[in-house]
This record gives sequence, structure tokens and C-alpha cells, in this order.
Amino acid sequence: MTSLLALSPLILVCATAIVVMLAIAWRRCYDLTATLTVIGLNLALAAQLLAWWQAPLDVTPLLTVDGLSIFGGVLILVATLACATLGHAYLEGARGPREEYYLLLLCAAAGGIALVSSRHLASLFFSLELLSMPLYGMLAYTYRERGALEAGVKYMVLSAAASAFLLFGMALLYAFTGHLDFAGLGGALASAGGDGWLLAGMGMMLIGLGFKLSIVPFHLWTPDVYEGSPAPAATFLASASKVAVLVVLLRLLQSAPATQDAWFHSLLAVLAFVTMLVGNLLALMQQDLKRLLGYSSIAHFGYLLVALVINEGLAVETAGIYLVTYVLTTLGAFGVVTLLSSPYGGADASRLHHYRGLFWRRPYLTAVLTVMMLSLAGIPLTAGFIGKFYIVAVGVEASRWWLVGGVVAGSAIGLFYYLRVMVTLFLPEPGMQRRDATTDWAQRAGGVVVLALAALVVLLGVYPAPMIDWVRLMAAT
Amino acid sequence: MSLLLIVLLPLLGSLLPSLSSNQRRHQCALLTAAMPLIALLVTLRETPGVIAGEVPRLAFSWVPALGLDLALRLDGLSLLFVLLILGIGLLIILYARHYLSEADNMPRFYAYLMLFMTSMLGIVMADNLILLWMFWELTSLSSFLLIGFWSHQSAARKGARMALAVTGMGGLALLAGLILIGQIVGTFDMQTVLDSRDVILADPRYLPALLLILLGAFTKSAQFPFQFWLPQAMAAPTPVSAFLHSATMVKAGVFLLARLHPALAGSQEWLYLVSLTGLVTMLYGAYFALIKLDLKTILAYSTVSHLGLITMLFGLNSQMAVVAGLFHILNHATFKAALFMTAGIVDHECGTRDIRKLKGLWRYMPMTTALAAITAASMAGFPLLNGFLSKEMMLAETLETPLLGGLAWLIPVLATIGSILAAAYSLRYVRNTFFDGKPRELEKTPHEASFPMRLPVLVLAIVCIIIGLFPAFSATGILTTAADAALTMPAPELHLSIWHGFNLPLLMSAIALIGGFMVYVLRQHLFTFHRQFPSRNSLAIFEGAVQRLVRFTQWGIDTLENGSLQRYMLWVVISALAVSGMSLMGIETLKGELAVQKADPLLIVGAAITCFAGLATAFLHRRRLISLIMLSVVGLMASLAFARFSAPDLALTQLAVEVVTVILLMLALFFLPQKTPKESSASRIVRDVLLAAGFGGVVASLNYALLTRPLNSISDYFLEHSVSGGGGHNVVNVILVDFRGFDTLGEITVLCIAGIGIYKLLNRLRLFMPSSDSEGRPWSPDRYPMILASVSQSLLPMALLVSVFIFLRGHNAPGGGFIAGLVTAVALILMYIAHGVEWAQQRLSFQYQPIAVSGVAIATLTGVGSWAFGYPFLTSAFGHFHIPLIGDVELATAMLFDLGVYLTVVGATLMILANLGKVTTSHRPSKQKEKA
Repeated sequence: MTSLLALSPLILVCATAIVVMLAIAWRRCYDLTATLTVIGLNLALAAQLLAWWQAPLDVTPLLTVDGLSIFGGVLILVATLACATLGHAYLEGARGPREEYYLLLLCAAAGGIALVSSRHLASLFFSLELLSMPLYGMLAYTYRERGALEAGVKYMVLSAAASAFLLFGMALLYAFTGHLDFAGLGGALASAGGDGWLLAGMGMMLIGLGFKLSIVPFHLWTPDVYEGSPAPAATFLASASKVAVLVVLLRLLQSAPATQDAWFHSLLAVLAFVTMLVGNLLALMQQDLKRLLGYSSIAHFGYLLVALVINEGLAVETAGIYLVTYVLTTLGAFGVVTLLSSPYGGADASRLHHYRGLFWRRPYLTAVLTVMMLSLAGIPLTAGFIGKFYIVAVGVEASRWWLVGGVVAGSAIGLFYYLRVMVTLFLPEPGMQRRDATTDWAQRAGGVVVLALAALVVLLGVYPAPMIDWVRLMAAT
Repeated sequence: MSLLLIVLLPLLGSLLPSLSSNQRRHQCALLTAAMPLIALLVTLRETPGVIAGEVPRLAFSWVPALGLDLALRLDGLSLLFVLLILGIGLLIILYARHYLSEADNMPRFYAYLMLFMTSMLGIVMADNLILLWMFWELTSLSSFLLIGFWSHQSAARKGARMALAVTGMGGLALLAGLILIGQIVGTFDMQTVLDSRDVILADPRYLPALLLILLGAFTKSAQFPFQFWLPQAMAAPTPVSAFLHSATMVKAGVFLLARLHPALAGSQEWLYLVSLTGLVTMLYGAYFALIKLDLKTILAYSTVSHLGLITMLFGLNSQMAVVAGLFHILNHATFKAALFMTAGIVDHECGTRDIRKLKGLWRYMPMTTALAAITAASMAGFPLLNGFLSKEMMLAETLETPLLGGLAWLIPVLATIGSILAAAYSLRYVRNTFFDGKPRELEKTPHEASFPMRLPVLVLAIVCIIIGLFPAFSATGILTTAADAALTMPAPELHLSIWHGFNLPLLMSAIALIGGFMVYVLRQHLFTFHRQFPSRNSLAIFEGAVQRLVRFTQWGIDTLENGSLQRYMLWVVISALAVSGMSLMGIETLKGELAVQKADPLLIVGAAITCFAGLATAFLHRRRLISLIMLSVVGLMASLAFARFSAPDLALTQLAVEVVTVILLMLALFFLPQKTPKESSASRIVRDVLLAAGFGGVVASLNYALLTRPLNSISDYFLEHSVSGGGGHNVVNVILVDFRGFDTLGEITVLCIAGIGIYKLLNRLRLFMPSSDSEGRPWSPDRYPMILASVSQSLLPMALLVSVFIFLRGHNAPGGGFIAGLVTAVALILMYIAHGVEWAQQRLSFQYQPIAVSGVAIATLTGVGSWAFGYPFLTSAFGHFHIPLIGDVELATAMLFDLGVYLTVVGATLMILANLGKVTTSHRPSKQKEKA
């Protein structure tokens, strides 16, 4: 019973998926589907509290419910809720079936929640696939757009390749250790030391997971997919999906201290360094906001990798806080793009010229986007700053000067392109074609979500104590 | 509380201007000025106490986790800066009111200015390192807004961007340095940090911390080699330059040096790094100030030079030098702000700042000329003015420095040279602009600026004179307090006076002034000399670097991100190859302990066929049907391999799954063109083949290594317990229906739901059957070939029989419900293929959904049944029966469960496949209709 309670968020999300599916099969009603989805997700969010009362608890050899899994679960659910709400506005005008979007969203969310609770390679793999498969569909949801279809296919093919590497790595690890659970694997790795076979296995797994996190050089799909896919799907990909994978990577690295082997460790450090620089550099010249956000998310996961590389002291707390700020900010930034492209009608309004002079048309929406850009750049008094501060602090604490240098250089470059977006928003508007949010955007659910996110980003930037306390509590369990 | 007011009032002031409008400019300026004025009054009220030695402090806990407190202090150092910032700030507000033209958005300008003022006040009053850094970052941002205020000018945008790039980068380095200091000391509290010099100096992390902090300070204060951004920032409106580049922004760097002086100074590193950087900057700036032609650029370089001077003083590790540095901060702020404002007046009245065009302006603006002359004389270090006093102190200090050991005489000599240049460029600034003949080519006739515009300059000039004449009375008090704070100990006694008697510094001052005059007279030779060098514009260099970076990133995007899926795949595979290859290289031998099995001919033939079929699939992929057939050969060989290596169950399953997959692929092929166009060039094929071979090699070696090592797995457990626990000899089946019965129940439920889901979702999908392929050749009209139809019909009963057989023997021999279900499904599908959907449906007139659902129901009921007998869910019971021909049949309750599996598999598979087939309708709407 305690096990069931501990898994209740996951069960609730799955149940919602089934209910939604049956409801669609019974009768297609767009608003009903959306409402059911949101109710289910909210129940699951509330059920995280139930799970928290049971934590820490190992449920079957596959799953565990502890602070980390609840932390990840809450972030995923919040992100999914935002995607559902934003998707509602986005798909309102779409032709063809619209209800299945929620079905896919719920399945992916279930995959994410299972992934963050995984403590076994088997559950890691199947929940990762459960997370990814619905995403193929979501990314290509507006398949009449060339870009969306292309994005879906690209993600599917490359993701399948990455999964193959992941599986191969797992097989290697299993063959040489005889364990599939993280704890046993960690123990076996620790006793085996830096055996070449195990490193090959870990390396392969890192490729698979690094692909999902778009770590350089496995990042190549990111900008294309972000650009082409419908905005709510890209939002989910950028937020919930990445959170889930990062949390499981964190858990894997934590439970397998042998990953601190010099070779593997320096591989991770090099990847982090390259990711920060490449992500930021390639973002400089982008003319498309979604692409730009794609590169920026690459860079941000480079920063996050720094915390994983160091993996001692404040590292877990740092990763947690950075994730929270990243998710809130990304949701907000993509949210504005979604609102501007809602209701769906042709390709998304994500070219930078769509945003030229937005301030003179939609001042509050502009303010939201400005706050998000400032937060992504890590400017003080926004949530992003807290995360950036933690990363620098962790790097300095561990005296990893190369990594600190990378963070500093990357952030300085980052300042440029985030500012470029901001400047664009305030430029006087030439007589160009425009896509605009509906006039009553702020009264609608999507608008409320975006405004709330902006408020939260500022609030957590000014008064981050509750967030820090929460993350600490979660990291300690 | 009043401390908070000093910081927050200007912040409030940044909101007030927006209440006003661009039209009501007086009101706007007054509203803006009100808040700093009150803040200034508050500060003045605190001043006596501070000078008496009190240090008002204020602290609220803000983010304890970050060590960030909202802590402010007003010690002497802060006081000096606060007075400068607020005082000069107020004058700038007045000046800007008359400087800005109608076209400029005044409320916006004032809002930015106030924001900047707030952040500057925050820096100087912060009592917490992180808080200081936050305000530091805000100055970078707000100065970006101010420098780029005329955003329609490309130079302004570029200058602002450059300033932000340099100072922003420095700011982040500073953050790292401050965090390091915080880690050394254990807190970010300012007082504790200042008191722990010994701890910091002894720590091995001192050097990186010092380097990072100096990087922050030097970028902000435009020290060599980061001096280049300051002249480019002159694209800002003049009030901004006067404020940011005389009294505030650039002073933040030297303020930081003064603030952290007690904590960091005293080491050899500090001495060399700081003072030599300062010295070099001083000379560099002074030289270029003499060369440049634009009034503001001249002033900018002279600012660089003076900041270098101050930096050098802070570096000298002498207490008196710190006092001199602080004194020069005060003096430089006054005369440089005034000079910038005169440059602004000239620009405003004449429309140009080119020193070659401006001449003899004293005829038109005598008052401005007088003010410019006074302040420039102060800059030159002319006696009776404040610049003279601090410069003389500086020269005196250079005489006593231990720097460079035996070469210590170099320092005063170089300092004197710097002073000579300073005198020369000051003279040039005044004489070439206001005297020396008549102006040429001016766009408009200049006239004297209005009085309110001159008033700020006048005030500052008066301050220059007062400090110059009565230093002891006007400056000693505040200076001593500031020095106390900057040294965290009582400062050495200060005797400021105009006349110290004849001594070496006085001689150096005299040399500087006379030498400056000589250099000015002979300046043409210097210019001729300078012309031999190619001109180097820092903006052009920076922009060039930016352009190169842009080209580089563009190249990166073009090579990496060209949108080609193949390219992306290539990179993923290459990196995977690198990772696995590198780890493989660290291993001595691939072979493990296990002996290699003998290869028998059968195996070799099988392997050869598999290889051939695999290669053929790839090579013939453009002829899709053949390629598909080859693919099915690969699948067949895989199932045979399973059978060969004693996994008949897997083999059967693989076979059945293979059939279903191929049928699905056939369905898809039906809608695709028959041939794929040629898409790869020869070189690309070579590349791909190489890559595939390499990767295949790595994977094969990994596999080889894996298979030659002993493997411990869980299968032994199941082998041991399958008969005793589940009553069956077929371990796979026992696992499915007994050991893992609950999982299987879940799986078939999912299968059933998925089937129903797909069925419902396909409900509306309509695909139109093509009547011809893409090349216009019609498909064969004979859709259902006779031979296939009759064969399949005769096969059906046999297949059904086989499936029953497999089902019954499943528990002991290879077989089971799952495989039996697949066999049945395949047989039925064959009917669909052979005869068409309509024909088959007439005969198989039952729905598949109930079958699948009843399968799940049976399985569940079986499980529930064990409850009825008081056992846990899904406990199985078994007994043995003998049926003729089939043999010994063990009738376990698991069999019932297996029936459920069977039904579900049949139902779900047919539901999916049959419906996929059904979505095509032979009726195809005409082209016109489709377009409409």
C-alpha cells in the first residue's frame, strides 16, 4: 500500500492518459480533453505530497521514491501543466485531430516521472523510451508544416540511434558486472576500478543520455527540432524531457562513484567545457528565437554538466537549483513564443523580426520575455542569477578553473545574444508583416501561466530562500 | 535606515521621470533631481558622524544560502564616493536638461541615469561582497543603456556593446574572485573580509583570487590592456560621459581596489601587478591623449591616464600613496566632469568636436573658455589648483617605492614623463580649441551657452579652486576619514598645503609643467613621428574580432548545422566511435577466459547468408521490394540462429513477429513509389561505408569480448525452479504465465488497450488506393492472385491446428499462448491479403475487440480465481493429464491464463492489422476535388 501511495503520481498520470484516450474514443471534445488532462496533472502534482510522506522508499527493484525523484516529478508535472495550458491556446485553431496532443503529452509525462524514479537500467531504458516516443508524435503534430514533420523525423531517427548506443552501453555494463540496478552497478564499478570495458559501457550510455540532453557533440538535432516543431512540443522537449534525463544521469553518477575515474571524469569535463562554448557561440548569429533558445539550452546544460562533473559538496543542490530556474525561465520564454503563434496558423512566429517592436504592441508580453532573457543571461534579481551563482560557486569551490573560465566566457557571450533579443523587442517597428498574440491573451489560461512564470522568476530572483530550502530538503532525502 | 534611503531614493527617482512627459522638460528634470537631492541631504546629515569616526551599518538577511545580505555601510570611503556621485549627479541632471535636444526622449534618459546612480551608490555602500557584485553588474547593464542611448547611431550601439562585453566579462571574473575570497574567509561580510588579510595572503588560492578580482577592476577602470573600450564609449551623450567616465563608472574599479586594499594589498603580487599596470596605463593614455583629434576622445584617453595614475598609487603598498590615490579620485572627478561638460558645450554650440576645425572660440564663449582653462590647468597639475596637490603627492610617493629594486629610479622618471604629457595635452585641449586663430568650417556660428548649462561647470571649477587654495580646510577631513576606511587603521597624518618648501617633488612638478609646454610647442614632430605607425582603431579591431568570430560561428553553423540528417548522424556515430574506440585502446586483449566454440559448416553457411542478405538490403535499398525480401531473410536467419542456439521459443516468437512486421512494411510500401531516387554521391558512399565498417568493427570486437567472458545471469534460478514452482518444462512460458504472471497480465492489458486505441484512432483515417505507381504504370488489376488465394485457404485450417498444438504443449515444450496467438493472427491476416478486406470480413463476421477484451478478462479471472481458493493473486495450480497423440498435458490454471494471452494477442493483432488494411478505399477522389 505504501508502495502504491509512493507511486501515486505516476499511477495518476497513467490513469489520466487512459481516461483521456477513452474519452477521445468515446467522443471528441477538445475542451473536455484539455480539462481532463489538467485535472489529472493537478491531482498527480498533489499526489507528490503523498509520495513525499512515504519517501524514501524503494518500490520494486526498478523504482525508488526519494527526494530526487519527487523533485524531478514536480518539475516535470509543472512543465507538463504549462505545456498543456499553452497547447490549449495553440491548437485551438488547428485543423484535424487536436485531442491526441494531450494523450501524447500525458504519456511522455508518465515516462518522465518514471525516469526520475528509476534505479535500474531496465526501468531507465523503458521510461526513457516512453518519454521519447510520444515526443516524436508531438514534434510532428502539425505535420502539414514541412518543418514540423522534418523535426519529428529527425528527432526520431537520431533518438533511435542514441537509444541504440544507450542499450549497447547497458549490455556491456551488464555483461561485465552482472548487475542492472544502479546500486549494484555502482558497487561493481567501484571494485572494478577503471576497467576499459566498463568505461566503454559508461561512455556509450553517456552518448545515449547526452543526446537527450543535447550535449555537444550530440547536440546537432536541437536547433532544427526546436525551430521546426510546434511551440508547445518544443517547450516540453526543452523543459520536462531534459529535466527527467538530467535527474536520472545525476542519480546514475551519484550511485556509481566509479564514474569518478579519471578518464571518464575528464571526458565529462571536456564535454561540459565544449558544450558551454559551442552552445553560446553558435547562438550568436541566430535569427530565429526558437533556434536561439535551442542553442541557449545547449549552453545551459553545459553549465549544469559542470555541477555533475564536480559531483561533490554543493553539486547536487546546485544542479537542483539550476534546473528549477532553467525550467521556469525556459517555460516562460517558450510560452511567449507560443502565445505569439497562437492560435496555430502556419509556421510559428519565431523569427526575430516577428518580435521587432513588440513592446509597442504588447508591452506586458514584452516585459515577460525581457524578464526571461535577463534570467537566462543570469542577471541579478532574476532566478537565473541564483543558478549561475551556484554554478560559479561550485566551480570555484572545487578549484576547477577551466570550467569556471568556460562558465564566465560562455555567460559573457550569452549576454550578447540575450541582449540582442531584448533590443529587438524595443526597436521602433517598421511596417513589416506581423504575427501577434490575441488581444485578450492575458485573460486566457496560457497568458496567466506565462505571467505567473515571469512573476515567479523575479520573485525567486529577489527572494530565493524558499526555493533553496526546498531543493536542499529534496537533496537531503 | 537612512542608509537604505540613500540607495533607494535614486531608484525611486528612476520611476519618477516617466510620470512626466517629453514635452514638460522642466518638470521632468525637477522630478528627477528631487530624489538625489534628498539623498544628498540625508548623506550630509550623516557626514559629521562619519567624520567623527562612526560607521553606520545596516544589515538584513536576504539569501543566507548564498551568503548574500542586504548590508550597507557608510564609512569614510563610501562617504567620499557617495558625495561625489550624488553631487556630480545633480549637476549632470541640470546639465542634461539643457543638453538634450527635443528629439531625445528625456524621461527615458533620466530613468537610465537614476538607475545607474542607484547601482553606483550600491557599489560604494555595499557591506557584503555579493551585494557589491550585484550592483557592479547593474552598473554594467545601465551603462550599456546609457552609452547606447542614441540607439540610431551605429557607433553608439557598437561602443555600448563593446563596453558591455569588456566590463561584463570582467564582472563575471570578479564574481569568481569574490566567491573565492568568500571561501577563503568563510563569509562574504565585508568587515570580516577586510579584517582577515593574513588569512587571505597565506592561502594558496590568493593568487587566482587576486587575478580574478583585478581582472574585474581593470576592465571596469579601463586599465591596460583593457583600456580600449573607454574611448569608444564616447559615442554616448556628453552628460553620460561626464558622469560615467569621470566620477562613477570607471571609478568603480579603483574604488574596488581601495575597498579591498586592506584585505588584498601587501603582497609582492599586488605590488607588481597593480602598480605596473597603473604606470603603463598612465603613460599609454597620456600619449594617446596628446595625439587624438576628437575633444571627447582626448578627454577619454586622459581619463585612462589618470585612472592609471590612481591605480599605480593603490599598488604602491604605502599608506600615504593610498591617501594620495583617494585625493586624486576626488580631484579627477571634479576637473574631468567639468572638462567633459565644456567639451559638450563646444559640441552643442559648434556641431563638431574635431580639434582641427575648432579654433579661437574665446571670441564667442569667453565664460566657457575661462572655465575650461581653469579646469584644464588643474588637470595639468598647475599650482593653486587641486590637481597640483594630488599630483605632487603622487610624485613624492613614486620616489619612495621599493618597486623594481635597483631600477626604482625608473618609476619617478616615468611618472614625471606622464606628468609632462598630461601638461602638454591639457594645454593642447585649451589652446587649440579656444585660442589659436579663428575657427574654420564650422557648421553654425557658435555663441555662449546658456547660464544653466554653464552653471555645473562653474560649480566644479570653484570646487577645484577652493580645494587648491585651502586644501587643509576643505579636503583633509573627508580624506582622512576615507583613508581610515581604506586602510582599516588610522591614516598617516595628512598635511595638505600648497607650499611644502623646495623639494624633489616640486622640482618634478616644475619639470612637468615646463616639459609639457615644450612638448606642446614641438608637438608637430611627435605627430609626424606618430604618423609612421599604421593607425589602429580599437573599435575597428574589436569589430574585426567580432566579425571574425561571427564568420567563425557562421562557418561552424554551416558545417555542423546544415540541416542534413545524415550529417548529424555522422557526428553522433563518429563521437560514439571515438568514445568506444578510446576505451578499447586501453585494453590489452579482446579475448576472455572462455574457449571459442567450434564453428560447424551449418553455422558458417548461416552466417554467410545473413551477411549477404544484410548487405543486399543496404545495397538494394533503392529497389524496395527486393530490399524488403532481403530484410525478411535477415529476420529468418535471426530466428534460425535462435533455434540453433537452443532458444526455440524465442525463434518461434521472432518468426511470428517477423512475419507481422514484414506485412506492415508491405502495407507501407504500397503507398510509396516503387524506387528510391539516387541520393548519395560516390564520395559520400565511401565515407558511409568506411564509417559503417569502423563502427561495425568496434561493435563486433565488443561483442566478441563479451561472449568470451563468463556470464552470470538470473536464468539459472528460473531453470531450477520452473518445474517445481510452475509445473512446466518450458521455462520461458513458465516465466510468462507463472513467475511473471502479473507482468504478463499488465502487458496483455496494454496490448488490448493499444489495439482498441489504434482501432479508434484509425477510425477516420482514409488513405486512397493508388491506381498507378509514381511513374504512371498501373498496378496489376488482378489484386488477389489465384494461387495465393487457394494456398492460403488450405493453409488456414492447418495453421489453426498448429496454433492449438503449440498452445497446448506450451507449458512444457516450446510454444505457448503468445506464439499460438501470433500464428493464428498471421494465418488470418494471410486471408485478408489473399482475398481482400471485403471478402474476408464477410466470412469472419465477428468483431475483434470483444476477443481481445475477453482475453484480458479470462486472464484476470484466473488470477482472481486463486483468491477464491484463499491463495494470493495469480497463484497457479496444476495437474497432469494424458491426451492421446499430443502426449502428457499438464493442465495448470496457468493454461487458462495462457488462453487469455492467446485471445488477446489474436484480437489485438487483427484489430490493428486488419484495420490498417481497411483504411484504404479503392475509391479515389478526382484531383480537382483534392485541391478544393
